Amino acid sequence: MLPVASLLILVPLIFAAVTFLTKTKGQAAGLGFTGSLATLGLAIYAYLNFESSTAAMQFFESMTWIPSLGVNYSVGIDGISMPLILLNAIVIPLLILYSWKEDRESPNRFYGLILTMEAAVIGVFVALDFVVFYIFWELTLIPLFFMVNIWGGEKRAHASYKFFIYTHVASLIMLLGIFGLFYASWQQTGIPTFGIRELIAQFQFFESGLLKDAIFLSIIFGFLAKLPTFPFHSWLPDAYTEAPTAGSVLFILLKIGGYGLFRISLPMLPNTGNPELMIMMLGMLGSFSILYGALVALRQKDLKRMIAYSSLSHMGYVILGAAGLVTLSVSGAMFQQFSHGLIMSILFMSAGAIQTSTGTRIINDLGGLAKKMPKLTVVMMVGFMASLGLPGLTGFIAEFLVLAFSYARLPGFVLIALLVIVITAAYHLWAMQRAMFGVYNEKLGDIRDINSMQVFSMAAIALLVLYFGLNPSPVLNMMISNSEAIVSLAAALGV
Amino acid sequence: MESLTMGNLMFLAPEIAVVSTGLIILLIGVFMSPRTKNVLGYLATLGVLTALVLTVESFGTNAALFSGTISIDALSQFFKLVFLAVALIVSLAAIKYNENSDHTEEFYTLVLFATFGMMVVASANDLILLFCAFELASLATYALAGFEKQNARSLEGAMKYFIIGSVSAALMLFGISFVYGATGTTSIPAIAANPAILTGNPIGLVAIVLLIAGFGFKMALVPFHMWAPDTYQGSPSVVSALLAAGSKKMGFVAAFRVFILALAALQPDWQLAFTVLAVVTMTFGNVVAVSQTSVKRMLAYSSLAQAGYIAMAFVVMTPMALTGSIFYTLAHAFMKAGAFIAAAAVVWMVSSGKTDRLDIPDHLDNFKGLGKRMPFAALSMTIFVFALAGIPPTAGFMAKFVLFSSTIQAGMTWLAVIAILNSALSLFYYARLVKYMYFLPPEGQKIRMPFPYAAALLFAVAGVLAMGLWPEPFLQWAMEAAKVLV
Repeated sequence: MLPVASLLILVPLIFAAVTFLTKTKGQAAGLGFTGSLATLGLAIYAYLNFESSTAAMQFFESMTWIPSLGVNYSVGIDGISMPLILLNAIVIPLLILYSWKEDRESPNRFYGLILTMEAAVIGVFVALDFVVFYIFWELTLIPLFFMVNIWGGEKRAHASYKFFIYTHVASLIMLLGIFGLFYASWQQTGIPTFGIRELIAQFQFFESGLLKDAIFLSIIFGFLAKLPTFPFHSWLPDAYTEAPTAGSVLFILLKIGGYGLFRISLPMLPNTGNPELMIMMLGMLGSFSILYGALVALRQKDLKRMIAYSSLSHMGYVILGAAGLVTLSVSGAMFQQFSHGLIMSILFMSAGAIQTSTGTRIINDLGGLAKKMPKLTVVMMVGFMASLGLPGLTGFIAEFLVLAFSYARLPGFVLIALLVIVITAAYHLWAMQRAMFGVYNEKLGDIRDINSMQVFSMAAIALLVLYFGLNPSPVLNMMISNSEAIVSLAAALGV
Repeated sequence: MESLTMGNLMFLAPEIAVVSTGLIILLIGVFMSPRTKNVLGYLATLGVLTALVLTVESFGTNAALFSGTISIDALSQFFKLVFLAVALIVSLAAIKYNENSDHTEEFYTLVLFATFGMMVVASANDLILLFCAFELASLATYALAGFEKQNARSLEGAMKYFIIGSVSAALMLFGISFVYGATGTTSIPAIAANPAILTGNPIGLVAIVLLIAGFGFKMALVPFHMWAPDTYQGSPSVVSALLAAGSKKMGFVAAFRVFILALAALQPDWQLAFTVLAVVTMTFGNVVAVSQTSVKRMLAYSSLAQAGYIAMAFVVMTPMALTGSIFYTLAHAFMKAGAFIAAAAVVWMVSSGKTDRLDIPDHLDNFKGLGKRMPFAALSMTIFVFALAGIPPTAGFMAKFVLFSSTIQAGMTWLAVIAILNSALSLFYYARLVKYMYFLPPEGQKIRMPFPYAAALLFAVAGVLAMGLWPEPFLQWAMEAAKVLV
């Protein structure tokens, strides 16, 4: 058996290092693509050898690293991380194909940063030690900071600083919570450890409810700001919009906030001083994000900014489903992460293609693009329909599960989310209608449709959206196994 | 009274290596022409490297020499490692700085004597010896700071440094005299042995005030920092590296020995003072650094902030905090020395190219597009500033990780929050430097990096990454060193 978890980090990292050293665009893109394909191969290997029916940790590896602090390099994969690893491994080669024909400055850095990002994000997903987790968590900031700054839009400096410092502060607050967890557990057991599972298990034995709440809240703050959720989202629209298309897609694949919620916060939640209050808080943040994101998206003039707010709105389902705390709502939330990653990749790629062809993203300056860009219109339509929740596509499954099964615990917040579905449909359809259909805006001149590479990569993602929309079980089953474990733990504590 | 034999003299092998290299360089330099003097730099590097190896080899030995005035223990060895690592980086980089200069031998002799002074401070177990060694290091660095005799900024910085330094030395000596007056001894263990004499004694308080002012100058804690920005900016960059990364740590090791070991009885008093100093220093340093346009000045203020973090050890005073602080001094030595050397490379580039802003050679504008002009300097500078900001996986992250976490362990969450907010603020000006190096278009040609700068940077980068990726041995050494203090 291969040490897949480590290889999934190492392979893209090594390819990234080599890619940085290349001189020509052909070499850089070729190496980048090879590296991402190798990672995809590893991810598929892991998936084929993966047992979906258990919540146990698989492909587990552990090595002592800093014994005097109880830090181990331990990694593993389970049903929470597997779908997200797959998501990254699938989309990144397609992303490289998408940007294949774009001419840009320093292509070696561009493809090197994409692979570094892939390694860092997968590193967060497989880490089972808080120090390893935090190192990869922070490492994700650097490629994105460079990405936005080198190839971003006009206000890239502002956007990248805001994103970098905002989420760094949130991570530091999370780090304080991790310290609290570490020392409180050390004091009780006499053995220092940063193991994520060990510390979460020890959490229930802490005596002070206040301490537990403080630890829980400071850790979850890091996740909520990264997710992001209303009201900690203000870095999102700027960063997503100013980033180049590849950067926006990388932001979308950065599912580490939601992952942390399932891996760390939910198992801790039943043991906090006041679990009911925490659930209400999460439910409220979730439904408000859904509402707020949709309302703001409705009145955006810029297509990419609209998609960014729509992303915020959709991530609200992840929190709402997590707060629902029954097996299927939690699975729905996990599935939303997976589905959102695919759908939003199509949307950002579409917005990027439109900007490259027409030179603008302002919805009202577009119009009738379907006539000139028929191929784009087809895939974009699939993306938009999936995003607004059309049955048969992944978005529907995720949102249906979240809404149907969170209702028991959080009826009020689910009702808010239900009402928002109308707004969601409205802004999607309205934007589509104004930008793509109707009379062609002649001012745009003669524009070109997306190239064959872009058709291939976007269509491949669209097909996956359709496939998992019709047959979600390949990823949903493993999510259910893990959700069951989380929920049964909570149920045993009467939450 | 033990007799001095060849055997126990070997405990001082690193010091002997440094001093004898310095003397040899001084002697043979007289007979050499400016062109051949380049070889002196390699000789100095070799001497420092030998001392470094000898120090690492001697880890774990404990000894008291010269009637107990010198103590060889984990603390002294760790700090010698810090000073020698800095001296190695500085002497490597200075090979280029002193190229074809007529004063090479003076430069290296001063660097080596300063390093020797710092090393003796690290193992001094007697206040008078500590003072003398402190002065040896200080006098050598005063001369080094003003080494560019034609450069008004260098002279201004050296003058400020010298005047404030002399006053501080007087204050320190005055403080020592109060301690001596009360206890009748200058031996650190003997002072510690009679805690009753100093507790509740006004003389003790006066001594603490004077000693904090004396050491605070070297550690560049606010409000004793006034000289630091001017001196770090005005001095040749290689000297700034020695001052910020080396000489500053001498203040720390002296303060560790004097306050924590000798004046343990007065802990509540100096702890309160250091609480205020640490918080004010880190906040002031970071806030002022934000608005700097000279990179060396920015590094000077960032160095203040870092001193504020290190001083947190005096506030928390747990073994973990001391470990973190001691670990931090080594991490900071690599990060800050490296950053100043990278700045030195840019200053060299600017003055040899003559196309850029010459009035302030380390101006941010001269860093524009450095990623294209000197890729290795830009990459290593990026690693150093991200390390200073505490981004993993670097030495700076591990150091902050241990140090900041210890405040949580001690229940001082407020201090951790202040430190962490400061750390986040610092990211702003560090990231700006990265922006200039990578995101702005270059204003000049690509330049081949001279070997000495590249070698010095490579060593510093290796140190920063080694301490970040494989911190265990360094942590073990720091823990041993911290055990000396508790």
